[in-house]
Amino acid sequence: MGVIVGPRVVDAGASLFSVLISPVAVAAGFPSPAQDYFDGRIDLNAHLIKDITSTFVVRVTGDSMEGAGISDGDELIVNRALEPKDGSVVIAVLDGELTVKRLRITGTGVVLQAENPKYPDIRVPALSELTIWGVATRCLHHV
Amino acid sequence: MPKPVPMRQMPQIAHVDVNCFYASAERAFDPSLEGRPLVVLSNNDGCAVTRSPEAKALGIATGEPWFKLAPRAKEWGLVAKSSNYELYGDISSRVMELLGRYSAWLEVYSIDEAFLGVKGGPDDLLVLGRRMKEAVRRHVGVPVCVGIAPTKTLAKLCNKWAKNNPAFGGVCLWEAVPADVRELLMTRLPVDEIWGIAGRLTRRLNVLGIFTVQDLVSADPVMIRDKFSVVLMRTVLELRGTPCIPMEEERIGRDQLIFSRSFATPVTTAAGLREVFSVYGQQASARLSKHGLQAKVLTAFAATSPFRDNEQAYPSVCVPLPMPTADPLLLTRAAHALLPNIREGLKYAKAGLMLTDLRPTGNQPPLEPFENRHEERGIGSLLEYVSHRFGRGSIGLGHAGIKSGLDWSMKRGMRSPRYTTHWDELPVVKAA
Repeated sequence: MGVIVGPRVVDAGASLFSVLISPVAVAAGFPSPAQDYFDGRIDLNAHLIKDITSTFVVRVTGDSMEGAGISDGDELIVNRALEPKDGSVVIAVLDGELTVKRLRITGTGVVLQAENPKYPDIRVPALSELTIWGVATRCLHHV
Repeated sequence: MPKPVPMRQMPQIAHVDVNCFYASAERAFDPSLEGRPLVVLSNNDGCAVTRSPEAKALGIATGEPWFKLAPRAKEWGLVAKSSNYELYGDISSRVMELLGRYSAWLEVYSIDEAFLGVKGGPDDLLVLGRRMKEAVRRHVGVPVCVGIAPTKTLAKLCNKWAKNNPAFGGVCLWEAVPADVRELLMTRLPVDEIWGIAGRLTRRLNVLGIFTVQDLVSADPVMIRDKFSVVLMRTVLELRGTPCIPMEEERIGRDQLIFSRSFATPVTTAAGLREVFSVYGQQASARLSKHGLQAKVLTAFAATSPFRDNEQAYPSVCVPLPMPTADPLLLTRAAHALLPNIREGLKYAKAGLMLTDLRPTGNQPPLEPFENRHEERGIGSLLEYVSHRFGRGSIGLGHAGIKSGLDWSMKRGMRSPRYTTHWDELPVVKAA
């Protein structure tokens, strides 16, 4: 995973030549006694998005992921650079459509799980037979 | 016998471009288009500007008018999309930003292709090429091919081979291709497949018996200079492995204007780049006006110096403009959207603008560059107040900002959603 540096992330793992950069505080303007305590306002982009270049926002339609706290009409933040793992909430391509499911990788095969008993699981022989579009990292749930 | 010393430190040039860019950008968000013949249409849904391989296989030519294709679309299963420049601009800017992580010597050559300076032995370069290809496909979702060679012309040629010969696996390194295979490939390739050679020039070369790339490589460079131009002589030298095409920093094409410059002294602050982009906005505006064009999408980018420091960054941002414009003020403001992505203290050596979705200006009188009367009358703050209170698009200067604006005249009936730039057009994922 990358390191957050200002608004942008250097994904050290993915690049041959990228360099790890540590965040540096920059002095600006008149020194204030509070400056050591003030790092700027909360920035949702910086907090929610690890790598803006590979991050997309998608909208959910349907209720099959209710159990994971993902409801109809919510937005998901999806990072395409992440490696899908057992337990990841993934966007998979099924029958030409983008579909959100919980990925389960077990000794006996790969399962795309719904988080709602009304929907059946989908079994896949191997991960390689599946097109994973991206890994959801956050849900923007409408309350 | 002593082994020849490998030229490991000689910089090489990687040419990376997206396969069928517009079609691939469409497919990245709509997997149902995968494997189907797909064309992307020019402004006003006029003619096919991009064809998927399946559409090419149907015999559809570039530039074929849509009205001729439409009657047979159903029978062919052909899908047509109107140009979605906001999507293409954003995907382009993501691709370039990603490539910038692999080399700070990066020249954005067009919306879907870039040259990168790279170094290393043949194995390193092949690994690098494959990594870039894989990273762009996975992180951004579009396929690219990579050609790596000692010169730009050869890098482009290698890219073409990588695209057309599946055996290369999408990455072709000049020095890894055996000499006899190179010669065979160059003998098979018509001369007009070379970068910068087209039309009338091809016919003049044919008259001299130069039909294939191999014929051109074998031609005497001095004869070429005398009969044609220094430019074509450079092409011959480049094909023979001598780099002589420098960085180009300004190009206006049929559908895009690229305006970029390297700085004599690196710029290290966002405030410094703000000034730079103000100047570029005005200069790009003047270029557009000169060609009677307006742009609808702007991409601003900056790059750190590859030589001066270790910390590299290649920030890039795509900004949909509220209306087609050549207004220096609007272009400058749009370019300033990059500033929040600028890291203070890094040494930026280059910055640029790319304007896409170009269209003829129409009948309005061109705006005077530098004219800025609205600001003097405090209209700017009033506009901001009204937009803030009643929503963006509720008020604008002239046609600016008003929803639909001048776009009513542009036919884009088959445009896909602007998935990455408009909150109300996000890609939909099914939870079912």
